[in-house]
Amino acid sequence: MTLRVWLFVWVAAGIAAGFLWAPVVPVLEDTTRVFYFHFPAAIITPVALAWSMLHSALYLWRRDLANDDHAAAAAELGLLFCVAATVSGSIWAHSMWGSYWNWDPRETSIFFVLLLYGAYLALRASIEDPARRARLSAVYSCVAFVPGLFLIFVVPRIYFSLHPDPLLNSRGKADMDGRIMACAVALVLGFGALFFWMLSLRVRLGRVERARESVAS
Amino acid sequence: MPNGASSSAAAIWAILRKECRSEWRTRYGLSAALLFAVTTLTAVSFAAGRMPDRTDVLAALLWIVLLFAALAALAHSFVREVEAHTLTLLRLLASPSSIALGKLIFNLLFLGVLELVTVPLFLVLMGAPPPNWGPFLLLLALGSAALAAAATLVAALIAQTRGRGALFAALALPLLLPVLAATVSGTRAQWSGGSVAPAAKLLISYTLAVMAVSLLLYDHLWEE
Repeated sequence: MTLRVWLFVWVAAGIAAGFLWAPVVPVLEDTTRVFYFHFPAAIITPVALAWSMLHSALYLWRRDLANDDHAAAAAELGLLFCVAATVSGSIWAHSMWGSYWNWDPRETSIFFVLLLYGAYLALRASIEDPARRARLSAVYSCVAFVPGLFLIFVVPRIYFSLHPDPLLNSRGKADMDGRIMACAVALVLGFGALFFWMLSLRVRLGRVERARESVAS
Repeated sequence: MPNGASSSAAAIWAILRKECRSEWRTRYGLSAALLFAVTTLTAVSFAAGRMPDRTDVLAALLWIVLLFAALAALAHSFVREVEAHTLTLLRLLASPSSIALGKLIFNLLFLGVLELVTVPLFLVLMGAPPPNWGPFLLLLALGSAALAAAATLVAALIAQTRGRGALFAALALPLLLPVLAATVSGTRAQWSGGSVAPAAKLLISYTLAVMAVSLLLYDHLWEE
């Protein structure tokens, strides 16, 4: 209960500090502010995907439906964060690069993640039996790991990207104002806590629903 | 259940022969897929017109036609087993990985036949300049292998769901995006005189990775 309140205060304070306390980057001007939403959401998206895939693999190994709850919940929340990162990035790209969508390598990989979450959730929706749904969606999730590695890690490093390197530049050191960095890190922690809190709610809900079904049948 | 390497090779060969024979009996799948590929090709060619000097666009259009032909054709192999209620019998007779490999080779042959018709027609209808045949055929072969490897696994997955055909394209597309990117850039490169080696390497490593992961997972696909 109190943790929830503190989380709300933490994220609100981080956003307020991003607007009122942190300076803007010279070229980016006021579009710097999108960073405080875009960057944490873009960090949480692959975390959610990895969490979902990890629990899918664990399900195939241990056959515990609790793992399936985790995989499904992480995918649903990951889709939410992925949409937030894509939309905020696209709006920023419109004001800085002049077009909403240009198939920059980063845009390609986030779009792939979006497709993947969509396909995974569509697959889940089309199977009724819980054990079969868990098994088949876990298999799909594990296979999707392969193109995920290619598109998230290989492609953005091979092809030229206009995307700014937010924390570390090509010389391997940070050249960002300390206040911007502080807000960004605070919001990454805040979004991360938000993700895991919502995940725990969703997992508990899944457990309750399963218990109710087993009582009803 | 047979376990030795020779007997599983025999099982794969038997599955392949069974697939070819049951396909040849009706020819329903092949004729539908061929018609679909030619329809896609006609739509693309009719709408875009001849473009002999735009090889960058031609490379993209060629692989879009082949991708759609594959998406329309490759779900067939497993869905047919489920519709005819023969999957359980098949599972009793062979291991999941030999069924999968047999069907994968069949799908590869199937794609080969499709391409034998579609690709020459495409080159003629679009007025394409003659490709650099060696690298071009290499890309076609590697691209088909990658398409077949990913599509066979997704076909096995969706055969047990309610949506079946409708889901196939949605589930296969994320797995096929790297294939599309590599084949299009390779095909562009061979037309403009560049090297196809990067695209070929990417396709080979991707196909091997997908096949390795899916062979590990096929055992989990059928359990009831």
